[in-house]
Amino acid sequence: MAYDKPLPNPDENTQPFFDGLKDHKLLLQYFPSADHYQYPYSDRCYKDWSTDWEWRESAGNGEVYTWVRMHQLYHPSWKAEIPYTLAVVQLDEGPRMHTNLVNVPVEDVHVGMRVKVHFDDVTDEVTLPKFEPA
Amino acid sequence: MSDPIRGQTAICGLGITEMGKVYGHDASWFAGESIRLAVEDAGLDKDDIDGLLVNPGITGMMGTGISIPLQGYLGLRNLRLLNHMNSYGATASAMVQYAAFAVHHGMANYVACIFSDAPLQQGGSAGAAYGGAGRRGPTGMASLMPAFGFYGANTSYALAARRYMERYGVTNNDLGRVSVTQRRYAVDNPHATMRQPLTLEDYHNSRWIVEPFHLLDCCLVSNGAVCTIVTTAERARDLKSSPAYIWGMGQGHPGNFPHAEVEVGTTSGATIAGETAYKMAGVGPEDVDICEFYDCYTYTVLRTIEDYGLAKPGEAIGLYPEDPADPEAELPRINTGGGQLSSYYMWGMTPISEGVIQARGSGGDRQIEKNDIVLCSGNGGTLDTHGTLILSPNAN
Repeated sequence: MAYDKPLPNPDENTQPFFDGLKDHKLLLQYFPSADHYQYPYSDRCYKDWSTDWEWRESAGNGEVYTWVRMHQLYHPSWKAEIPYTLAVVQLDEGPRMHTNLVNVPVEDVHVGMRVKVHFDDVTDEVTLPKFEPA
Repeated sequence: MSDPIRGQTAICGLGITEMGKVYGHDASWFAGESIRLAVEDAGLDKDDIDGLLVNPGITGMMGTGISIPLQGYLGLRNLRLLNHMNSYGATASAMVQYAAFAVHHGMANYVACIFSDAPLQQGGSAGAAYGGAGRRGPTGMASLMPAFGFYGANTSYALAARRYMERYGVTNNDLGRVSVTQRRYAVDNPHATMRQPLTLEDYHNSRWIVEPFHLLDCCLVSNGAVCTIVTTAERARDLKSSPAYIWGMGQGHPGNFPHAEVEVGTTSGATIAGETAYKMAGVGPEDVDICEFYDCYTYTVLRTIEDYGLAKPGEAIGLYPEDPADPEAELPRINTGGGQLSSYYMWGMTPISEGVIQARGSGGDRQIEKNDIVLCSGNGGTLDTHGTLILSPNAN
């Protein structure tokens, strides 16, 4: 069956991030003047207001900051998945990412669980950065 | 040492419309009803109103909310103060604060502060009103949210609640104790939408929305409006209804930074807002008689109790009886009208409206006898914004 869930919609600024995912690389914005990694995208560092930055590849390691089980159906494509696990992962570089946890039974999920990125090629064109136990 | 403005201003009029699934009217209509009721409650005339502050609720984000044109709709021709304000659920406190400073310094005499919303459509669900259905899809990294299956405010608060619960060992049964307690108060509140008593069993049997939240952890969605009229203590003294004097005001806005350096879920802006308001009022947590706290979710109440210094971190649930449905159980004096969970969801005006009722002593069967210090909170975003009002029946 064709993948029918909502797909990301990159814009000009975030296209390199989504291209990176396709190459199985998790790219973060790095602002050298504040030595600060930032996510999601912004054209300005919120620490020192610098606008000089570069893409850097994340090591893809982190821990579960918090998580929930979604039971409510907001979009018909999730019907077969419900309930599904949503998480916020704290990357070792600093930023927190909203994501899905995969390859882990829900009984084992807890705050502080070590995880690593898992690139899920959901279509030929789109890869999503999910996380699994490290 | 309190601030000289303590007790110098007051809420002198309160208008609460019919609440809940009230169809066939838009937000302007509800706003009109609320100001009509508030002016009547204060014993004023329409032409006395010389300030108007508005907060449009979710319909403001859908393009059908009240804004500056409300002045024309209401025919207010004497305005010396006018604004459309928004710090989400903290707005109601912020409106009353702005109004208090304005009347204290002679910029206006009677400022109407209105929250009005009409998101519920006949045949539509509350989830459709608040889940973002029908809104244009996000782009860029934000578009990853629906791609992962994140939708709505329920999810953001459930994430915060989970972190809090795992950190402090708070359980779903604990959240249920908050829900059942507030329903007991709502039973005696004629303005409340949900007035049938609840048990902990009912709580556990209510369907999951986003685990750890059951349906009965989540606030209502309501059509309706609340108007409060703010004036000086001197003017309020001689009006028709008893004033709720404003003793303390504060704000605290931690914002939302998805980064390791900022903790989310186990802190809110109440810490800073509360400190500011306590200082202005010259009181502390030990002086608080009644709390009216923004309760978009059961968890929010526990978080707020702790951030105002009324319990140690993780220990707010200790203020609640093991089984609040037990008629012998003594209930904490928190959200004495049923709150947003059981009475009505008017963002920050839910706690303020019940705070005024309690400070006036007009709470009927749910009135708390000792009402000298009433602490009201407003909270917006996902614990991103916060406003505090301390009300009292006493001018000093």
